Amino acid sequence: MSAIADLLLGVITSIGGFVEAGSISTAAQAGSEFGFQLLWAIAAATIVLALLVEMSGRLAAVSRRSVAAAVRERFGIHFHAVPLTAEFFIDVLLLAAEIGGAAVAVKLLTAIGFQWWIVPIGLLAWLVLWLLGFSGIEYGLGLLGLATLSFVYAAWQLGPDVGDIRAAFVPSLPTHHPTRYAFLAVSIVGATVSPYLLNFYSSGAIEEDMNESELWVNRATAYLGICFGGIVSMGVLVTSAMVLGPKHVIVDSYEQAALMLVPVFKTWAVPIFAASLGIGCFGAAVELSLNAGYVFSQAFGWAWGANKPRRDAARFTTAFTCVLVVSILIALLGFDPLRLTLFSVALTVVIMPIVVLPFLVLMNDEDFVKQHKSTAIGDGVLAALVILGAIMAVVVIPLEYFGG
Amino acid sequence: MRSRIAFALAALALAATACTSQNAALQQHQEKLESLGSSTAAIADAWLGGNTSDRYTRTALEQIYRLIEQERARLAATPDALASSRGAHLSETAERLSRLVAVMIHDVGRGDAPAVRQRVTQIPIRPQS
Repeated sequence: MSAIADLLLGVITSIGGFVEAGSISTAAQAGSEFGFQLLWAIAAATIVLALLVEMSGRLAAVSRRSVAAAVRERFGIHFHAVPLTAEFFIDVLLLAAEIGGAAVAVKLLTAIGFQWWIVPIGLLAWLVLWLLGFSGIEYGLGLLGLATLSFVYAAWQLGPDVGDIRAAFVPSLPTHHPTRYAFLAVSIVGATVSPYLLNFYSSGAIEEDMNESELWVNRATAYLGICFGGIVSMGVLVTSAMVLGPKHVIVDSYEQAALMLVPVFKTWAVPIFAASLGIGCFGAAVELSLNAGYVFSQAFGWAWGANKPRRDAARFTTAFTCVLVVSILIALLGFDPLRLTLFSVALTVVIMPIVVLPFLVLMNDEDFVKQHKSTAIGDGVLAALVILGAIMAVVVIPLEYFGG
Repeated sequence: MRSRIAFALAALALAATACTSQNAALQQHQEKLESLGSSTAAIADAWLGGNTSDRYTRTALEQIYRLIEQERARLAATPDALASSRGAHLSETAERLSRLVAVMIHDVGRGDAPAVRQRVTQIPIRPQS
């Protein structure tokens, strides 16, 4: 009974925690510029994420190690320094973008410049991390994040053509702006398959004391939660395509994106959009900070855990505090939050092989996963997709930013 | 003789490439400005329909104003773009759009719906279709 309750809670909070700055901005842009045509990118990225998250949970349940700790142990600290540095760099950028996104959400409601909200939001995130245990953070923010289901409701109410949506799950070439199309496809993948999620999920499994007997819970939570979460991202894309696309509004700011909910929610549209954006970004900011604490502590062998009294894990607390402070400082530099988000999520795809490939090696090592190894074909496909994505990102990012 | 022809062809190819690249850049500026014109209309329509607050509308229009100014700056970043008649026309249109949005922000602040409705009809750049 408890396992089923855990499963339900896990699935629901996965749905609530799925959407954040990256997924809202990339899906809104993709919908406004290319209609439903990039739905396949969300579907593909969601499947890849579900597979990777299930594997990271399996690794944690069987080996009692998080991804970062296992990589460090298997490959040594010298090798681990590479993914650690890459992940740190991206996490700091993403965290700055999430704090910026949450600040814009408050700006939409108050009309006070978003820069004024960056420090208060950063402080609030730190207070949440200081005061709450893992369950409070994960389930509390995940349940609040169910506000993002408003995008699915809006898409449903707008009544899109089912045939058009079905056709969009098959990748097709764009009729215009191919570089932009490829850049958005890469960004959608980066926004969905954030490498931090692997370590965060595996660390969470350890915090919650998941063991081998609960592998089915892990599998069901990962597949159901993430696949339903992907539907929320698709809701953003479909709503944007149906409302902003026909008006020829290309999303360059969250203020424009908020208009997508007006036909369905009328006077509540902007508050609902702001709540969805704010909660999604704030939740992701807290998770990213917490993960920074996890990654550093696990890499250097420090005591860690959101459920531990903070004085018993002082270095862990210092690590997430420092990362939060650095990100707040970056956010204060005044970068446009939406552009910072797009840049960060596209770069995420570049570093993905550095993080994912060692992880795939671990998933075939019996010392870590015993008889619960992954299949060679599955791993091969995942590795090929990750490398292909990185190559594509290396090509399209310069073209997008420097002209092509 | 052959080398002169080869040089002339190479120069022609370079000029054609530069021209194509400039046209593509101007097309991008035009599309961006068209989107900003449409966004202005959409924000104003949502306010006129009573669906959005004065506070949001002003904030959104201020953001559109900033984006127009950024686009104008990008357009004027290279003298070549402004030297062409299309580039010059785009720059003038962007300036008119910028001014219109600035006035609209004041109209919304005063709650002057008829004035905002009038401004929407004066938006100087919108997509063709």
